Amino acid sequence: MNRIETNVIIIGGGATGAGIARDLSMRGLLCVLIEKNDIASGTTGRNHGLLHSGARYAVKDHESARECIRENKILKKIASHCIEDTGGLFVTLPEDDPAYHRNLIEGCKYAGIEAKEISIRKALEMEPNLNPDILSALVVPDGTIDPFRLSSANILDAKERGSTILTHTKVTGVIKSGARITGVECIDLKGRKTEVYADLVINAAGIWGQEVSALAGIEIKMFPSKGSMLIIDYRINNVVVNRCRPPADGDIIVPGDTVSLIGTTSKEISYDRINELTVDDEEISILLSDAEMLIPNVRHTRALRAYCGVRPLLAVSGEAQGRNISRGIALLDHHERDGLEGMITIAGGKLMTYRLMAEKTADLACEKLGIKKECTTHLVPLPGSEKKIARKSRIKDFTGIPDSVVGSTLYRHGQRLHSILTKNKKNYRVICECEMVTEGEIEYAIKKLEVKDLVDLRRRTRIGMGPCQGELCAYRGAGLFQEFGGSTPEESVILLQDFLEERWKGMKPVLWGDGLREAEFTYWIYQGLFGMAHMDEVKHKKKKILNKDILPADAKTDNKKKKGK
Amino acid sequence: MIYDCLIIGGGLAGLTCGIRCASNGLHTAIISGGMNSLHFSSGSIDIAGYNTKGEIIKKPFDYLKTMIKENSAHPYAKTGIPGVRESLNFITGKFMEEGINLNHNNDMNHFHVTTLGTLKPTFLSQESVFNTDVADIANSHNKIAILNFKGFRDYYPEQTAANLKKNSMFKDKEIILGDISLPYYLNTEKNLHEFRSIDLARIFETERYLPRIAEEIKKASGGASIVSLPAFIGIRNYKTIRSKLQEMTGKFIYEIPSLPPSILGLRLDNALKNSFINLGGEYIAGERVVSGSIKNNQVEFVTTRNSGNIPVQSKFYVLTTGSFFSGGLAAGFDNISEPLFGLKVKGENKRSKWYNSNFFDRKSHPFLGFGVETDSKFNPVSGSGKTIKNLFCAGSVLSGYNPVSEGSGGGVAVSTAFKCAERIIKEIKND
Ligand SMILES: Cc1cc2nc3c(=O)[nH]c(=O)nc-3n(C[C@H](O)[C@H](O)[C@H](O)COP(=O)(O)OP(=O)(O)OC[C@H]3O[C@@H](n4cnc5c(N)ncnc54)[C@H](O)[C@@H]3O)c2cc1C
Ligand SMILES: Cc1cc2nc3c(=O)[nH]c(=O)nc-3n(C[C@H](O)[C@H](O)[C@H](O)COP(=O)(O)OP(=O)(O)OC[C@H]3O[C@@H](n4cnc5c(N)ncnc54)[C@H](O)[C@@H]3O)c2cc1C
Repeated sequence: MNRIETNVIIIGGGATGAGIARDLSMRGLLCVLIEKNDIASGTTGRNHGLLHSGARYAVKDHESARECIRENKILKKIASHCIEDTGGLFVTLPEDDPAYHRNLIEGCKYAGIEAKEISIRKALEMEPNLNPDILSALVVPDGTIDPFRLSSANILDAKERGSTILTHTKVTGVIKSGARITGVECIDLKGRKTEVYADLVINAAGIWGQEVSALAGIEIKMFPSKGSMLIIDYRINNVVVNRCRPPADGDIIVPGDTVSLIGTTSKEISYDRINELTVDDEEISILLSDAEMLIPNVRHTRALRAYCGVRPLLAVSGEAQGRNISRGIALLDHHERDGLEGMITIAGGKLMTYRLMAEKTADLACEKLGIKKECTTHLVPLPGSEKKIARKSRIKDFTGIPDSVVGSTLYRHGQRLHSILTKNKKNYRVICECEMVTEGEIEYAIKKLEVKDLVDLRRRTRIGMGPCQGELCAYRGAGLFQEFGGSTPEESVILLQDFLEERWKGMKPVLWGDGLREAEFTYWIYQGLFGMAHMDEVKHKKKKILNKDILPADAKTDNKKKKGK
Repeated sequence: MIYDCLIIGGGLAGLTCGIRCASNGLHTAIISGGMNSLHFSSGSIDIAGYNTKGEIIKKPFDYLKTMIKENSAHPYAKTGIPGVRESLNFITGKFMEEGINLNHNNDMNHFHVTTLGTLKPTFLSQESVFNTDVADIANSHNKIAILNFKGFRDYYPEQTAANLKKNSMFKDKEIILGDISLPYYLNTEKNLHEFRSIDLARIFETERYLPRIAEEIKKASGGASIVSLPAFIGIRNYKTIRSKLQEMTGKFIYEIPSLPPSILGLRLDNALKNSFINLGGEYIAGERVVSGSIKNNQVEFVTTRNSGNIPVQSKFYVLTTGSFFSGGLAAGFDNISEPLFGLKVKGENKRSKWYNSNFFDRKSHPFLGFGVETDSKFNPVSGSGKTIKNLFCAGSVLSGYNPVSEGSGGGVAVSTAFKCAERIIKEIKND
């Protein structure tokens, strides 16, 4: 058994956990962040990446709206390479209550969100694909945010400041000394166990926070709400398009890189189903027909993937009835709440309020640990966002390298592109043509960005995220993976198979049109040509270790009881 | 002008059919819309590789009986077993005339080594393909070198070696890994690291480079007498190149099919095209049929993208447009269709029934079995339910079989196409 000692343990490597690790590291504390899967593999990687202006909440929830606009402005400064300042539109359809438009303008004004009414002609100029029958249009400072890049940059900073990141490592128990938690037990992919001791444990496990707190014998109640989204293979809109009505299903289309995202449905699910994330055909029909009302030609655009996430909504004060669900940020001091010292839980909130959540959590942590240091995360840019590079200088620095390669690398890694696109020609050979991922970028990610498998690599670089969904680049990625020492050659083939299975999850619900063509081709290559399915004995053994349920027996019965009612 | 036989789609099926018709003096044309499956394939022709449990078939012709008994809608049930054999004899003969030997192992399947080091059963392979016979040859020498071209991103020999070593036939063989390179090639304008198999094939086709390549192979293979390379040792004159290299190095040289474009498949494609054209066939490349008109249960004419509204007419038509990714079949939001004639297809309407939940499911996926339904003569049925007598269908546009899980793609393409040609020849003669 391994043993590590540190100041603070953070459970969960979503945006929230990553943000806390960075914040505390900047205040001089050493952290060990433990993530059971990969950075941003939970809800953080399963949303539509909207950098809210706050307008969505401006009518009903002023507090959230104000939080959003404040963070919106901060993130545009400190995380510029993770953000696209697209702007957003709220459009009223003939089916919608025209009065909402006014209410929204009022609400925005009250919350301090700049909202400008524009003519319908102007809106159609901005967004030529928009439904021409709209009744009114409003411009708001919405944007988009790349959750993978954002989390990775936070982690990178924490690491560079001395913290430790353990990915693919699951917390399986807490270590107690009387009424105080002194550490956690965890287990990694290979089945190796580690004990980590610290002065404080922070539960930032999102929707899984209920499970984690149960390990410490504490009850918190999450109310899981599943949301499904659809990615279409074309950037059909350039600004975020919202429907001007109270938030509901299928009312938003968010552009992102080369694609657009249709969001979202909302469905309460029971807690024991939070890991079975599948999108059903009915949800897809809903998303398409709702999105069609905003942008009529969506249906003629190829769908790339469908996926879903579970909103980590928390019931305040442990109420079982779910009436009092907080949509805001919930910070729980378990000493105060449950008489258990040494642990705090942070939950709720949004991707774009991750920094604020981290700040609040770190403030409480410092207070408990008697550290007097102020938060500076709103002032210091993330690695990669230090300064914006002008287009011109970019071209001068990288003569001989195709502009598209420089552009994509800059886009994904900001300033760090200097450590990726070195003069060696090998570094800029393109491995994934759809997303212009180079060998240099892959090497950098494997060596510097906590990449343990090909799915992790996809999150860091976008390899295999484009229209072909990793047809050929998956194989190349696996080959390079073992070349750069990320795995043995034999393991790299298993990782390749895992990667293709993972892609399939998102592809299979949207197989119509070109989707089936790509799927057939990929199947021919990997099964017809490579005989992939004939070599899967080893892998199942590996998987079992991590999929073992950590829910204590009583937590499970509890859920069953709830269903029975 | 009216053709005797107009073939839509120039893949393995279309070309086989065309060659058979043209060699019987029929006025034959093939309209082909671009790349076909051979450009991606292993370049081996499978007949039957696996049974329904996924177990390997040793004697494919024996197994065909079981296959037909279990699935009477299978294309092989319509060609008949002798028909399969006759068609393969015919096509191997044609390949031979074009300088390509397709070998089989005394009527048994043999195994070729894949990029990932797995073994795949197949029936006919080019003699240069790295197969399990190599293990026998290696017995006396016991060293095998698996080499790559330095910087080639479409092949990783370490993976081949790692899995090959797990196989009992290779486990006691010493495997040497290495790279070959051509120093003066590093100075080219193009980034060498972006080379695909075709660019490398061109290097091998340049005669003056061969001595240097031979030196490189000798250096990298560390005393092994058997050497494998990804399949890129030339397209047109690969046989000469290979024997020259074998002579210069004193080693056996084999090829492993790698990522597309498939050099092994391109050789087959070129050979068949040549054969067809030499027989007087008309090969219309880069053209697509955009619609077909059916009247009185007969195809009246087809129109093509570049011919405007001028109809193209023929006595008989053969549809060999391939499956989904070649465009022969199309998937709608909740239906499967054949886009040119709107033929009756076998397929599910409910999308969730098209696939299995794991990509590498043992049972493969239902969509691979989707396709056009035909009667026992390969005549399809129109949308209005009537058999179309002057239209035949062959190859992967057909339903009733799963080419991947059965390991039957090439065999079905050749045998069904050949059968269609025979029918057309007979009908024209009877006319
Ligand atoms: C459909 C949908 C759309 C959304 N859209 C937006 C949007 O557009 N904009 C926005 O700002 N927000 C959006 N959100 C909200 C946002 O995604 C989440 O609030 C945010 O990502 C939560 O981040 P987190 O770090 O708290 O949780 P998570 O990202 O879920 O992180 C928790 C991590 O803990 C890990 N973990 C769990 N158990 C253990 C254990 N035992 N040991 C170790 N690790 C463990 C998990 O693997 C996970 O990675 C959306 C949410 C949903 C569901
Ligand atoms: C990656 C891969 C590996 C394979 N490996 C093997 C193997 O190892 N062994 C084996 O036996 N088989 C293998 N196969 C299968 C085998 O190659 C196919 O089953 C066979 O080649 C199918 O031939 P086809 O002529 O029916 O269709 P295709 O080869 O798909 O040809 C159809 C042609 O029709 C054209 N077309 C479509 N619509 C139109 C139109 N409207 N107008 C004009 N032209 C049109 C297309 O452009 C295409 O050129 C493999 C296939 C693939 C893709």
